[in-house]
Amino acid sequence: MTKRHAKIYWTGFTVIIALLVIAPLVLPEFWRRFLTEILIWGLLAMSSDLLIGYTGMVSFGHSAFFGLGMYGAAAAILMVKPPNLWLAILYGLAASAAVAMFVAYFSTRLRDIYFAITTLIFSQIFYVIIFTWTEVTGGENGLSFARPALGIPGVYTVPFTSTTLHWFVLAIVAISYLVLRRVTQSPFGMVLQSIRENEARTRAIGYPVERYKMVAVMLSGLFAGLAGVLYAIQNRFAAPDFVYFLISGEVVIFNVMGGIGTLLGPIVGAGFFLGLREGFSRLFPWIATTFDMPYLAEFPYLIPVGIIFILMVIFLPQGLLGFMKQRLNQ
Amino acid sequence: MNTPAALAAPSPAPVRGDAKPTVLRTEGLSIRFGGLTALNDVNFEVKRDEIRAIIGPNGAGKSTLFNCLTGVLRPTSGRILFNGENISGLPPNRISQKGIARSYQITNILPNATTLENVRIAAQSRRHGWNMMRHHRNFGDIMGKAEAVLASVGLLSKASELAANLSHGEQRNLEIGIALATEPQLLCLDEPTAGMSAAETHDTMQLVRRISKDLTILIVEHDMKVVMELAHRITVLHYGAILAEGTPADIQQNPKVLEVYLKT
Repeated sequence: MTKRHAKIYWTGFTVIIALLVIAPLVLPEFWRRFLTEILIWGLLAMSSDLLIGYTGMVSFGHSAFFGLGMYGAAAAILMVKPPNLWLAILYGLAASAAVAMFVAYFSTRLRDIYFAITTLIFSQIFYVIIFTWTEVTGGENGLSFARPALGIPGVYTVPFTSTTLHWFVLAIVAISYLVLRRVTQSPFGMVLQSIRENEARTRAIGYPVERYKMVAVMLSGLFAGLAGVLYAIQNRFAAPDFVYFLISGEVVIFNVMGGIGTLLGPIVGAGFFLGLREGFSRLFPWIATTFDMPYLAEFPYLIPVGIIFILMVIFLPQGLLGFMKQRLNQ
Repeated sequence: MNTPAALAAPSPAPVRGDAKPTVLRTEGLSIRFGGLTALNDVNFEVKRDEIRAIIGPNGAGKSTLFNCLTGVLRPTSGRILFNGENISGLPPNRISQKGIARSYQITNILPNATTLENVRIAAQSRRHGWNMMRHHRNFGDIMGKAEAVLASVGLLSKASELAANLSHGEQRNLEIGIALATEPQLLCLDEPTAGMSAAETHDTMQLVRRISKDLTILIVEHDMKVVMELAHRITVLHYGAILAEGTPADIQQNPKVLEVYLKT
């Protein structure tokens, strides 16, 4: 990046962060929560971009890391009195790291579709364990709990409002982004990209490829777990649905829509996809009442969302951000 | 690469063998794919700073031999000794770390990375590879090494060009650059001049001669002119076994070699 590029980049970064800081002050409650949620899904998508975009491994197991982050946070909040925000994060990260280590150890021996399927199977195994182990995990109903307060318990705490929660999530997502960005530019990150480009050659010039992949999966799982912790704190529950592989599928969709290998793209993709879904889910009932066409009220709104996704894959294969980058470079 | 001592030393006369220590030795090296014996009891020895050519008709086992030496294939039996240490069966990354590098017959680079990055990532494999917290361009030692290597293979002016956009000849030289950046003691070149024009071939020969000053080189090559001019000694493979070995002059007069080459 040249000096001029760097200047544009950091100006843009500051403006976007400033907008996201102001947003909860002007948005109504529902959209404030919605925006916070987009940031959390964005963090999850960004964590998987480290594998999809930078290492060239498509993971369908990110729901497991995300879900274990949720359950780890739940464990800390339910077991430790008074509930401690930082312990919730720590437990969540530990749980997702443990799962990520387990999954990484077995799955990184495989490549391409075999890697994807193995991660999917592992996430389903964790789903079944969580779904059936009712005494510990609450089974189908999951666990619900009170939201821990912001601050240091026993010293000074304030309860979260939806605005302060948004700022808290924004701070963590922004820091995670900066950390992940640095990781992708570091020597380690360059090795991951070299593996993506030419795995055999990377091994031939002396890199233990499997070990690098393992660390990449663990790192990615750790940030996915962090997203899970944030989601648990926002929604005050942990549920097995979030360990289910459909979540992993959505994460891949966020990546494809936003642009893989850009880190920010997956956040944009998450915002775009969730916004699209939300918009269409309201559009048809609105048309039905406004234009007096009651048969449209129940129209399956995911059909147009799916069509848009397919069109984007065909005409914008580099994703929204990838496309914008290409345009700016011209 | 170019240590002051090496620069000061007179250019090495063709090595006759006995004075220098052995870098590479194979003992009874064999590899079988099902019923096919690709290498059959190969015993040979390469001395330090030697340029050794491996020749033979198509399918003689030359590339298979390279694949064994660099860990891509595991020998069925026999040993490979590198500086006296048995390295047979080690994975390619471990063998690279021991000091054996190779270039490929079919260009094998990172096409979407710049020329500099192709070499830099190879230089980085010796140190700093696990660093996650600093920008990769802030490692002066690695960048310096990468630029020195690019200069030595004549690609410094193309440093920021995408490797995919280089000409075929330049990509072949980048191959050699990537191998050199790992600071090898033994360099295996698999047909470095394949598909090159006469002028490019000449330049690459000069390049190989230049880098061979303190490097042991194994070279597989079909171009006999290149082989005869470059190599100190030649090993002829035929059906996976060694048919003959000797100086270029010996090999050119060896009746067995002539017979094999005239027949095919």
